[in-house]
Amino acid sequence: MNIDDLKNTWNNQSTIDTSIDINQPLLATIEVNQQMRKLESMKWRRIVESVVFFMIIVALWQYIVDDFTMSAPVISACILNVFAIIGLAGNIGQIALISKVDYAAPVKTLQQNMFEICSHNLQITRLVLLSVPFYMTYMFLGFDVLFSVDLYQFLSDEMVMFYAVSSAAMLAGTVWFVSKLSYKNITTPWVKWTVAHIVGEPLLEMAEFLNNAETA
Amino acid sequence: MSSDKETHFAQLMKQHKGIIYKVVNSYCQHQDDRQDLAQEILTTMWLAFDKYDSEFKFSTWMYRIALNVAISYYRKDSRREDKANNDGDLLLDMAELSQEDNSAEIKQLYYFISQLDKLNKAIMILYLESEPYDSIASSLGISKTNVATRIGRIKEKLTHQFQEKAS
Repeated sequence: MNIDDLKNTWNNQSTIDTSIDINQPLLATIEVNQQMRKLESMKWRRIVESVVFFMIIVALWQYIVDDFTMSAPVISACILNVFAIIGLAGNIGQIALISKVDYAAPVKTLQQNMFEICSHNLQITRLVLLSVPFYMTYMFLGFDVLFSVDLYQFLSDEMVMFYAVSSAAMLAGTVWFVSKLSYKNITTPWVKWTVAHIVGEPLLEMAEFLNNAETA
Repeated sequence: MSSDKETHFAQLMKQHKGIIYKVVNSYCQHQDDRQDLAQEILTTMWLAFDKYDSEFKFSTWMYRIALNVAISYYRKDSRREDKANNDGDLLLDMAELSQEDNSAEIKQLYYFISQLDKLNKAIMILYLESEPYDSIASSLGISKTNVATRIGRIKEKLTHQFQEKAS
């Protein structure tokens, strides 16, 4: 017995004729289903997040324009603005991606799109992690906004060097860490664990599927 | 006009209902999940019906949607959710994998398919439908070589399992 012997049996399963009964009058009332409802709610969340990012960008831009000098707080505002713009662009990309989900597309294409859509929290985590080496920007900006103090002026050369070196080390570490958080590395146990904890089991299944699809 | 569309859709579904039946039985072990997945596949097809591109065979279009929905279906969070309609009526009623149908061979075949991963399940179903390798590759978005390699491995595994059963 082999797989080819079973093709006939497969195609002549006797229950198929009576297998499915469609409630035709109900068809017209169907406007959305479970998966589409989930996608629609994701789209609205992305829209709300986009508005928040946009407001942050406007506020930071306003701050930069109001006192445009080469001071530490203004440079910090510029750096944080770059992260906010990346966040906004990512959200707009997500909204576009959700709008073009096509269930008649090839399976791998749809799964890749769904992975990108569902991995939004992972992307946000990446963005936050990448901003960690720039933690001093929050300090400089915060001190200036709250106390009108340019903290940088009070730092000794040694402190500046310490912060510069620690930020550079953290940047190297976070870039490496973030680059590993991809479905291509899902077989690595710590990547699998991290992805599962940040975004949950369904995304892990998708990542494993995509990884599997790329290897013969 | 709209009722024409429903009638046309229902007729096409009747002609090709085996596709939903086979995909659902291959991807779900429990009757509740089967029913839920079948509803989800049917509603997705209905909602995408306006965009059906007649360049594709209808059965190919149906298989793509059915497999995409089945592969994306996540039992843990979908089991407790509402069905596709609000009033509790079912859009579709799916028979259980019946006792009378099925020859030991079919049962064994479904059992074997249930042990495959999601991608190999899709390959196996399309292969059993006698789809050519390039059509399977195009429906799944993977290379023809990848399809051929996987089918080779599935055949080997199946032969091995049948031999084990026989001995």
